[in-house]
Amino acid sequence: MKRLKFEHRITALYLILGALWILFSDKLLGYLFSDIASLSRFQTFKGVFYVVTTAVFFYFFITKHLVKLRNTEKELENHKQNLTQLVHEKTKNLDEAIEALRKTNEKLNEKNKIINKQNTELKSTLKALKEMQFQLIQIEKMASLGILTAGISHEINNPLNFIMGGLTGLQNYIRESKIEDEKVELYLKSIKTGIERATSIMNGLNQLSRNNDELNEKCDLHAIIENSLAISKGQWKSNIEVIRQFAAYPILIPGNVGKLHQVFINLIVNAFQSIGDKGTVTITTETQKDKAIVTIADTGCGISKDKLSRITDPFYTTKEPGHGTGLGLSITYNIIQDHKGTLEFKSALKKGTTVTVVLPSKFI
Amino acid sequence: MGKVKILYVDDEAINLMLFQANLEKKYDILIAENPFTGLQHIAENKDIKVVVSDMKMPVMNGIEFILKARLLSSEVAYYILTGFEITEDIQEALNQGIIRRYFRKPFNIQEISREIENTITDYYEQQE
Repeated sequence: MKRLKFEHRITALYLILGALWILFSDKLLGYLFSDIASLSRFQTFKGVFYVVTTAVFFYFFITKHLVKLRNTEKELENHKQNLTQLVHEKTKNLDEAIEALRKTNEKLNEKNKIINKQNTELKSTLKALKEMQFQLIQIEKMASLGILTAGISHEINNPLNFIMGGLTGLQNYIRESKIEDEKVELYLKSIKTGIERATSIMNGLNQLSRNNDELNEKCDLHAIIENSLAISKGQWKSNIEVIRQFAAYPILIPGNVGKLHQVFINLIVNAFQSIGDKGTVTITTETQKDKAIVTIADTGCGISKDKLSRITDPFYTTKEPGHGTGLGLSITYNIIQDHKGTLEFKSALKKGTTVTVVLPSKFI
Repeated sequence: MGKVKILYVDDEAINLMLFQANLEKKYDILIAENPFTGLQHIAENKDIKVVVSDMKMPVMNGIEFILKARLLSSEVAYYILTGFEITEDIQEALNQGIIRRYFRKPFNIQEISREIENTITDYYEQQE
């Protein structure tokens, strides 16, 4: 707009000055000079004068205009630089803001991860607590059972002692009186067998009630299995045959005598209970390197595949209500785990179940 | 050589009677129904060679009784009878040589008799 105006102005000015000059310069010369020679000479000067004057005039005029333009240009340049800087700064600020956001995001992610981790930890802690609670209940149960059996065993052992002492006296009396009677022998032998059996059950109960957390007691595996069989007599129906395939040498392992009794009583009772009419329970013991292996194989009803994975779950039972708490195998499993051993089941419906207990046999 | 003198301490009267009845032919048996009577016997009979005591008795247990008895007579072989599993007290007494052995109830009189026999043999061998 301004540029156009300037062009118009300069053109108009030039036209006006030119027109005025053409109109009035000759007249002026006519006033000043009357002779043709001077007139003609000044006519030439007049052209030069016009050119110089207009040149000077335009010089100032254009210069003024150009200065203005240049200033504007400079200002624009400054402005542009300012803008660029501004944009630069803003961009930098934005970058920083983005970086800060990214960091915040990262932190949030980390926090989220921590929360997730804590959540998982809480869950496992809860699970552990539940297991612990369950075990505490068991320990409490076993502790009161221990006190009870220890008391009973002391009270029963004294009367057993009377019978034993009386029997010894009678045996001596009969020997000295030289009475030889098959029936008397039978009676005495029956009393002796009765005392021995009652004593072995009392010993078993005593062992079972030994309540401590010691895992480094010297455990005689064969004695523990024999005791467990004696204690499980209540479930040992006459149609069940127990086959012992024990190693020819004693197997001594580190462990908790009372708790290992619990393991084998549970497994033996289960084997007995699985057999309906008639069957066998084969107990095998052997050692391999630093491991003692006991297998208890019954020819009972067996367990179906879908149930097999659940049998060590607490409170899982297939028995009639009141015939099993569903805790036996769960306790067994926990005890074996405490001993750093393993418990494995193989079963086929109507054919039987084989339980394999592997326990470390090396004393530390 | 007269019969060897043995003291048996138990709070169950029937146990005392049976022990005495079964072993009186071989040994001179003194019996005590409580540890105090037992200590009295030891004080009065310096020739007691063997003392057998029940573990669980009122007032004082078998080990406590034996520790007191040792102050009166240290030349005696002491034994404990228990209706329980071996306890820490008993294990400790065994380790320190306070008692020679412990027997589980119901006890086998023949086994105890054999053990006493060995002890007496040891004792006389040492005397010679």
